Amino acid sequence: MVKFLKPNKAVIVLQGRYAGRKAVIVKSFDDGTRERAYGHCLVAGVKKYPSKVIRKDSAKKTAKKSRVKCFIKLVNYQHLMPTRYTLDVDLKDVVTVDALQTKDKKVAACKATKERFEERFKTGKNRWFFTKLRF
Amino acid sequence: MVAAKKTKKTHESINNRLALVMKSGKYTLGYKTVLKSLRTNKGKLIIIANNCPPLRKSEIEYYAMLSKVGVHHYNGNNVDLGTACGKYFRVCCLSIIEPGDSDIIKSLPGDN
Repeated sequence: MVKFLKPNKAVIVLQGRYAGRKAVIVKSFDDGTRERAYGHCLVAGVKKYPSKVIRKDSAKKTAKKSRVKCFIKLVNYQHLMPTRYTLDVDLKDVVTVDALQTKDKKVAACKATKERFEERFKTGKNRWFFTKLRF
Repeated sequence: MVAAKKTKKTHESINNRLALVMKSGKYTLGYKTVLKSLRTNKGKLIIIANNCPPLRKSEIEYYAMLSKVGVHHYNGNNVDLGTACGKYFRVCCLSIIEPGDSDIIKSLPGDN
C-alpha cells in the first residue's frame, strides 16, 4: 500500500515508439486531467543510450560516446513498468507539461534534460539507468 | 503427511474467508484490474492461482513488492479460484480492496 509511481522513480516504457526505453517520472497525475482522464505521468527518458567507453578511447572519442539523447513524454500508467530503481535528477523546473505544447519549447527542454542526464552519466552513478535493456 | 493434512484445513479456511470477502467486502477480479489496484494503492491482498503464466505471476509479484502488498499463491488453478469466488468463470488473479467482515488480510500474509 505504498505509493510507488512517484517522481524520481525509474520506469520502463512498454508501448509506443519508445518501447523498451528507460525513463524517470518527473511528475505524476494520479487522477488524470481534463484532457487525459486516466492516471498518467510526465516522463523524461533516454532515446539513445550512451555507447560503451573503453580505456583506449581518446578524450574526444569519450565525449562523443557519452552522449545521451532524451525524450519527454506524457505516458499512461498502463504503458509503464515501474522498477525498484530511482534516479535523483532534478528535472522539475525544466520538464513541464507546458514544455510539450510547442516544438521549440520541447526541444529546449530536451536539451536541458540531455545535459543533466549526461553529467549524471559521467559521474558513473545510476549505471543501470544508462544501460540499454536487452530483450 | 502432516503437511498435507494441514494444507487441506487451511485451504478450506482460505475458501471460507474468500467467500466472506465476496459477500461483504470489495474486490476486483482479473489481471488488468489487479495491476490497477496496485498502482492506485487500493489493493490490500493479491491472490494468484497456481496455473497463472510465470511471467504474469512475476509481474504481479514485482508490483506487489513495490507497493508492499502481500501476495498469496492460491492452492488451486484458475478454475478453482473462480469457484472459490462463487463465480462461473475462471479467475487467475484477484485483488482484495476491502476485506469487509473477513480477517483474510490479518491471517494470510504470514504464510504467503
